[in-house]
Amino acid sequence: MVDMPAQNPQRIVLPPHRERARRPRIVRLREWARRNLFNSRAGTFLTIITAAILALIIYGVVYFVFVDANWRVITENRWLLFAGGYPMDQEWRLWFSVMFVFLLIGLTYGTWASLGRRDHLFIVLASGFAILLLAHGGAAIWSTIWYLIAVGLLYAGYAITIRMPREAGPGRTLQQRSVAGLLIAALPIVLIVLLAFGGARPRELEGFVLNLVLAPVGIVGGLIIAIPLALGRASRMRAISWTCTTYIEVVRGAPLLGWLFVALFILDDVIGGELIVRAMVVLAVFTAAYMAEYIRGALQALPHGQSEAAHAVGLNQFQSMQLIVMPQALRISIPPMVGQAISIWKDTTLVTVILPLRELKGNADSAIAQFEFTPDRIEAYVFVAVVFWVVAFIMSRISQRVEGSLGIGER
Amino acid sequence: MTTETEATPTRDLESMEDIIIAENVDKWFGDFQALDNISMRIKEHEIVVVLGPSGSGKSTFIRCLNRLEEHDAGRIVIDGIEMNDDVRNLNAIRSEVGMVFQQFNLFPHLSVMNNITLGPRKVRRMPKLDADALAMQLLERVGIPEQAEKYPAQLSGGQQQRVAIARALAMQPKIMLFDEPTSALDPEMIKEVLDVMQELARSGMTMIVVTHEMGFAREVADRLIFFDEGSLVEEGTPQHFFENPQEDRTKLFLSQIL
Ligand SMILES: Nc1ncnc2c1ncn2[C@@H]1O[C@H](COP(=O)(O)OP(=O)(O)OP(=O)(O)O)[C@@H](O)[C@H]1O
Ligand SMILES: [Mg+2]
Repeated sequence: MVDMPAQNPQRIVLPPHRERARRPRIVRLREWARRNLFNSRAGTFLTIITAAILALIIYGVVYFVFVDANWRVITENRWLLFAGGYPMDQEWRLWFSVMFVFLLIGLTYGTWASLGRRDHLFIVLASGFAILLLAHGGAAIWSTIWYLIAVGLLYAGYAITIRMPREAGPGRTLQQRSVAGLLIAALPIVLIVLLAFGGARPRELEGFVLNLVLAPVGIVGGLIIAIPLALGRASRMRAISWTCTTYIEVVRGAPLLGWLFVALFILDDVIGGELIVRAMVVLAVFTAAYMAEYIRGALQALPHGQSEAAHAVGLNQFQSMQLIVMPQALRISIPPMVGQAISIWKDTTLVTVILPLRELKGNADSAIAQFEFTPDRIEAYVFVAVVFWVVAFIMSRISQRVEGSLGIGER
Repeated sequence: MTTETEATPTRDLESMEDIIIAENVDKWFGDFQALDNISMRIKEHEIVVVLGPSGSGKSTFIRCLNRLEEHDAGRIVIDGIEMNDDVRNLNAIRSEVGMVFQQFNLFPHLSVMNNITLGPRKVRRMPKLDADALAMQLLERVGIPEQAEKYPAQLSGGQQQRVAIARALAMQPKIMLFDEPTSALDPEMIKEVLDVMQELARSGMTMIVVTHEMGFAREVADRLIFFDEGSLVEEGTPQHFFENPQEDRTKLFLSQIL
């Protein structure tokens, strides 16, 4: 054993790497535990307390999952939970979409990344969980088989693409372009399979399937709107930049639920159409405002020299944006974008919240029709919206002041 | 520092055409005048080194020559093309004028190869194979053919600047602008970049170089130009500058820098 200079944590002297690696695993483990868990009296105390609390939680969870809980609620209402009102005889459309998406995941990983041990473990665990859910009731065998085929497609797509050469060349370019093309086309394809040619009507999208459709529509639609929006806000032409700024500030001024109410009540009177479709538009429009701000931040973080160098080699404004500035800005804004995507994924539940109000609204409309304030209905919504917006706008202004005084956002 | 060349007297620039003409150029940033009535003519194949203290307008001037800055008054004519709001003129000028920056400004998301081939492929519509061949040729010329598939961040500063030179050369420009190309480099890398620039000068390129490398100025330049506070204070041969400067401001500057 090396003796640990534990009393003086500033000067932990590690033996050379080789030497450490050669010692048996158990010794290394013990050393690690000493260093990280029991490095001082307070540390040891905290470790023991944490371990005790963890043990209690794990015991509670395990007991609940395997003893206390009655999972038949889930297994027997599988279809209701997952697909809601989706027509059962169109089940193949759901499975087709799942298989297509799984295949795409495999192709994407095979082309740009690789599956490590952890990824395989995750797939196996997730599949175990999925099969546990699927393997009940009448169509259990078939559901399980469809699911296994989907996983098989994931690995097939992966196996094919991972074998292709990664070195730059015409073959590689073709491969990247094809997979990227499929990724771009994926959402429209899935929507068509689910909804078009005798598929479900939008209002029949329910349950988990609804969230799975809404979130990508919001994210992809949002991104598509966000890019021109960010460029517009950064534009030197006042009319354009003010228009985009207004869009962003107004949308960010109210909570998503507020905008969904707008979709439910106000847009219904104005443009009509199915509520779900209107909700999709709202999600995209809402997400775009946030994403545009992340992209704008990234545009400001990018050194000015990049677009200057692009112009110096002769690229025009559009090419400089498309080939030099945007690829880098999008890369910088990936972390906050992922955060936004996750939050939109969770917020799609809000759509489920307003769905029942469809019927309510129908009743309310006729009920309100008898009251004297009917014509002022919109005014009430507008008033609430304005109050919300003002508060949010103040917050946004304050954040801009803080940004300004920190020197962010200036070149 | 550099080798034999005694460029100045052996070259016959008199018979050459003026490739850059600047007449009474002014440039304002808000109400600060960065360039004040600058006039100069530069001949084809001429090597001009621009000197001056910090903030004197050296960068602003050469950036006006490919319109990274727009001049507010006066005329600039590059190889017979008038610099004005006409986009076609601008595109024509930009593909004749290459530029190398102090901070290299390579495109970090593209490989060395793609950094170099981007301009030829997108602007000149050169087929990929031709562009790749051209890029390899240029990388040989700047001495780093083995770095073709790397990304800028994987290269040393000197190597990055040499890629930047290759990138500018790939557009086959007639004129090269250098804005303090060695100022961001560690001392041991300065020479490799200066050597490439010297080779370029010998090959007949027209060059305007902002630099504090007096060895380079002395040996390679046909003419030195001294800027101060946005004005062109003095110009002449290296000999004139280093042995017999006329203006007090020039003397002061040279005494500080030499
Ligand atoms: N975009 C700009 N906005 C406002 N002022 C500017 C801008 N660019 C340059 N200036 C000012 O113009 C003057 C000339 O700048 P320039 O960069 O041309 O100097 P320089 O001679 O290249 O100096 P250095 O040796 O430090 O690079 C400086 O006072 C600078 O502050
Ligand atoms: Mg400068």
